[in-house]
Amino acid sequence: MPLAAGSSRAREGRELASTAPYVELHCHSAYSFLDGVSLPVELAQRAGELGYEAIALTDHNSVSGSMELAVVAKEHGVRAIHGAEIDVAVDAGPSGPGRGGPATRHITLLVRDERGWRNLCRIITLAHAHTRGGSDPSPSQRRELGDPSVDLAAVLDHAEGLVCLTGCAGRSLIGRSLIGRSGGGPGALEERTARRLLDAFGPESLYVELQRPYARHDRARNRALEALARRLGVGCVATGDVHAHTPARAELQDAFVAIRHHTTLDASEPLRRGNHSHVMSAPRAMASRFPEHPEAVRETLRLAEQLSFDLTKDLGYRYPGAEDESASRRLAELCRMRLEERYGPGALPAPGVRGGQAIGRKAAGAAHAEAQARLEQELRVIDRLGLAGFFLLHHDMLELSREVALEVRGPDSVRALLAPGRGRGSSVSSLVCYLTGLSHIDPIASRLALGRFLHEDLRGLPDIDLDFPRDIREKLIPRVHERYGHDRAALVAAFPTFRARGAIRELGKVLGLPAGEIERLARGADRYGGAGMSSEHDIAAGREPVEDPGPHGPAEGGAPSERWRWLARLTEQAYGLPRHLSQHPGGMIVATRPLIDCCPVVPAAMEGRQMVQWDKDSCGDAGFLKIDLLGLGMLSAVERCVDEIARVHGERIDLSRIPFDDQDTFRAIRAADTVGVFQIESRAQMQSLLRTRPKNFEDLTIQVAIVRPGPIQGGAINPYIERRRRLREDPAYEIPYEHPALEPVLRETLGTIIFQDQVMQVAEAFAGFTPGEADGLRRAMSRKRSHEMLQRQRERFIEGAMQHAGADQGTAERVWTMVEGFAGFGFPKAHSAAFGLLAYQSTWLRVHYGPEFLCALLNEQPMGFYAPDSLVREAKNRSPSNRIAVLGLDVNASSVQCTVEDGGVRIGLGYIKDVATADVQALVAERLRGGPFRSLGELAARSGVRRRTLEQLAWSGACDGITTDEGTQMGTGTQMGTGTQMGTGRRAALWQLGLATPGETTSGGEATQLALPFELPGAPGLRPLGRWQRLIADYSTSGLTVGEHALEILRPRLTVPLLATSAQLPRLPTGYEVAVAGLVIARQRPGTAHGTMFLLFEDEFGTVNLIVPKAVYDRHRHLARAEPLLLARGRLERWQEGPQGNVWSMSEARTAHGQPEGEQIRPVVNVIVRELAALERYLSGGVEGAAGDGPVADSARVHHLPGSHDVAPADGEEQVQGSEVGSSMRAAVPPMQSFGGGRRR
Amino acid sequence: MAARALNHPRPARVRRSAGHPVEVNGEAVESLRESWLVEDRWWTAAPLRRRYWELVGERGRNLVVFHDLTGGGDAPGGWFVQSP
Repeated sequence: MPLAAGSSRAREGRELASTAPYVELHCHSAYSFLDGVSLPVELAQRAGELGYEAIALTDHNSVSGSMELAVVAKEHGVRAIHGAEIDVAVDAGPSGPGRGGPATRHITLLVRDERGWRNLCRIITLAHAHTRGGSDPSPSQRRELGDPSVDLAAVLDHAEGLVCLTGCAGRSLIGRSLIGRSGGGPGALEERTARRLLDAFGPESLYVELQRPYARHDRARNRALEALARRLGVGCVATGDVHAHTPARAELQDAFVAIRHHTTLDASEPLRRGNHSHVMSAPRAMASRFPEHPEAVRETLRLAEQLSFDLTKDLGYRYPGAEDESASRRLAELCRMRLEERYGPGALPAPGVRGGQAIGRKAAGAAHAEAQARLEQELRVIDRLGLAGFFLLHHDMLELSREVALEVRGPDSVRALLAPGRGRGSSVSSLVCYLTGLSHIDPIASRLALGRFLHEDLRGLPDIDLDFPRDIREKLIPRVHERYGHDRAALVAAFPTFRARGAIRELGKVLGLPAGEIERLARGADRYGGAGMSSEHDIAAGREPVEDPGPHGPAEGGAPSERWRWLARLTEQAYGLPRHLSQHPGGMIVATRPLIDCCPVVPAAMEGRQMVQWDKDSCGDAGFLKIDLLGLGMLSAVERCVDEIARVHGERIDLSRIPFDDQDTFRAIRAADTVGVFQIESRAQMQSLLRTRPKNFEDLTIQVAIVRPGPIQGGAINPYIERRRRLREDPAYEIPYEHPALEPVLRETLGTIIFQDQVMQVAEAFAGFTPGEADGLRRAMSRKRSHEMLQRQRERFIEGAMQHAGADQGTAERVWTMVEGFAGFGFPKAHSAAFGLLAYQSTWLRVHYGPEFLCALLNEQPMGFYAPDSLVREAKNRSPSNRIAVLGLDVNASSVQCTVEDGGVRIGLGYIKDVATADVQALVAERLRGGPFRSLGELAARSGVRRRTLEQLAWSGACDGITTDEGTQMGTGTQMGTGTQMGTGRRAALWQLGLATPGETTSGGEATQLALPFELPGAPGLRPLGRWQRLIADYSTSGLTVGEHALEILRPRLTVPLLATSAQLPRLPTGYEVAVAGLVIARQRPGTAHGTMFLLFEDEFGTVNLIVPKAVYDRHRHLARAEPLLLARGRLERWQEGPQGNVWSMSEARTAHGQPEGEQIRPVVNVIVRELAALERYLSGGVEGAAGDGPVADSARVHHLPGSHDVAPADGEEQVQGSEVGSSMRAAVPPMQSFGGGRRR
Repeated sequence: MAARALNHPRPARVRRSAGHPVEVNGEAVESLRESWLVEDRWWTAAPLRRRYWELVGERGRNLVVFHDLTGGGDAPGGWFVQSP
């Protein structure tokens, strides 16, 4: 979004302001959610350019954009006036109430002073109080959102400090009878309403609002309203009802109206404004709109002068304990007592390691002295900053979470051994946090510096983030509301913004474009992208000749229609605008006074939760203390895992007491056997692990931080990897430092900047910054649009380096380049240590309790980098000693969730899609009660589940054990087979269930017939399900398969020269031309890669990393983004440290599959892609016909690979065509990871 | 039987002064009652952009005329009259 503070246009605007004849007192921003298309910053900037002295933001029942406007308006020489347009409930009239609530009319409220702000917050809170009405059966269910509105009486009760304008032209509270009429004044009812407003607000604070939206009856209405104002003895004021800051956004406003009303542009004419006069105009232009009402124009200036409330001033917010005079003493007592427990004689070692050895007892005396000195230093800083109450509040929150954890876990659970939550972020560096339980990492042993978190020059409040398992967090948040009072605690809001895919879908729909084409386009778009959408739409419209048109070919020939062009334009414009109000993942505000005096509080989607209308930035600007109570999926997973270990093995694992120098664990990390573990499982991390080869916890702490935009852009990764390699080869290798002053602060990262706090440490050690200045530098680097600020920092840094460290200009500039390069996101070391510990713990569980860990991951989805199907595949592909058997769905063996069974993992029935959890629970309960089901008829009769559930069970293969091809009963077989015998009875089972299952449920909630356990007749001669069809059935019903991989089925039909498997690639020499086929399981196109896309292919043997250069990506972008089964041609890139191992030719490589035992240095293998194609085009019998046609014409060799299961179709088995392979996989493809989007942790 | 649109705009001869119509099809404009703007169908190949005036002619009739601002359509930039 544009922002050009200090531009010449803005200066001209400020000069104009002195003579501007008009102030805009009625503006909507995008925070009116689908009734406004400009951000506050855009409105402020444009207002400055046009010469406005002030503007008022009056979003619908919301002040979500107010703080943002208050902050940015000053930068543009504009004064922010605050207010809101409120929906007031009225009698519905003959047409009845509107959707989601009573009929409403509008009034505009403007804030005159602090009292007015409090009253506005209370009115808005009341307006939203009923919007999540109704109780839900489950507290975790989302409550549907209704429309906000408030009774007039409530407004009148809160009139003090507010100015009331009588409302917009279309829906004014006092203008109802004027709508659609050519003349006449307000009716008796409206006049009575106006007089009630007058009584409450008084003549000095009530204005009749005149607007000129260029609708047909404007003049008549304004004349009538002016007459009413005369009768009431109040003034008129002109307003513009601005909804866009520039004419270029006017069309988007129309489209938003259609989205808001769930209709199309073609059908929404009566709902739209009819023209684009709602765009911000110059003050003189606005004045000229009201030639008959010059006084109303002048009144805008007089009124604006009175509205002097400044939102950036103190709102009176205080957090509990902020003014507690005993807080410092109490905090010091608590910490000193805990210090003796943690560092005194007999203290147990804390989690974490240094140099591969357990820490906590370093040298007891020295550690104690160091900790004591550090504690006193921290307490001094905390006391000076007046933050003791802040720490005690967090401690109180943690104690509350302990109570909740006990309730959730149960007193006897093995999980009870674990802390209720963990710290993350820079606060982990604080000894006070460690001693008060807010951190689990010993900052003394881990050598964590405090400066990033706390220093004497700190302005504002530091951040303490706490991670909790999901189930504990879910209970904790409502408990916080109870503890601090429902009126004094609320979540922080968040504003999901339009991103490419959502914008394409919503805007394409209102433009009336074909649903299929919209969806295709949306799926092909960068998930979080926005720029460059025009070309995407061109492609969809068949405009641009593309080299590879994708499996479908071009959408349409010829030029794109107007609608497609508008989709491109509107999508660009909508990108980044807030779509609706949502809640922050865990940020909470608590206060000593009712929060509704500071900011409106509205109900959240989940029962028992409420949130303020401000996001974290606005809360920060308001000085609110935000406590982050975050849910961390991996914490939940490891807790599940220790529970499962206790169930299966009877062992009680305390993860804080496991050995932290376990060599099996580090061996797995060095071999990148890390699928599923925390933080170090991604494609990039795994490749990095093979090069950095971590050997202890300190290495792991660095590893967690290394694949981040900061170190990547700062150019730290390659030097760090290279220096580690040199050190491994030659321990005497001397690390090169740009300057000796850098050695103390960059020693652990071998002269590179990897941690965020190192930026500050470099600034202090090299350029002589104070801690406060260094923190300022860090903040300047992390802020957007701070070029000028960063330039000032640069000058200060270089000058400081020359003076403080005696560096020459060249050295100072080179070090600045390192610092500046880090401007992207990076982890502080404390955060890396916290996450590194969980990475280690999860790897330890994976290594020593593989089935239990896999089971926990599958039960805690969605989380992590890999979809369940990929987790299952990887477990099955491990080396024989680590391989985990994964057993399929079975009505006679599966529980609701996945379970460990005979050393393997049984998939739970909860994985079946479109099935009610209650049904699955009932089925399992009945099996436990009455024994295994012996037939389909018995299953239908005893389980009592719905027909749809039974059908899904049958189609998923869960009934295979009680079904045969002929439909006869097999008893209680539970083991899933593989190959052609698996699932051949699914069609027969479905046929039989048609006889056995109850009829559909009637509207009265009863089945039309009971299911009876009679013996079912055999099914007719149905053709057995083919291998491919079984795979698709698995994916479509459960999102995963424990059977054959797609490539295992397809490979025999692939006729591609130089085709290599994932198992063969590591054995081939670098530079080799290869073709690889695979199922895409991850896509990544990070901003740091300059247009390169990274794909992760999976075949039947493992995974393959593909690097798709920008030029290739541009040529094949639709395939790269959306096609699940691909064939890539390119050049092999192989890197291996030390002995190169056996690098074979292709013919030799064919015989090698699987991984050798024991630790060895695995090579890093990538395929640099030259060409991508849909795999289906290369299948014999596929869309391209038999070998010899089209792309396979040059097929010189057909590789019959060992172990590729070249199975001929069984008699009667259907051989699917290539086109069906592609379309069926596209329809049923399992969830895929996108790095950009990131599946939630 | 052929269908005929009701109140279909008919081309008009309009003389303007200071941006306002002062004569419509030879009839002088006595007074200006309303003026409004219609901008619609911008997403189609036939966008609509019209400035309307509701007038009282010298013969006491209400007149509604509009100026087509799209620069396209049947009569680019033309003036039309519709029944009020």
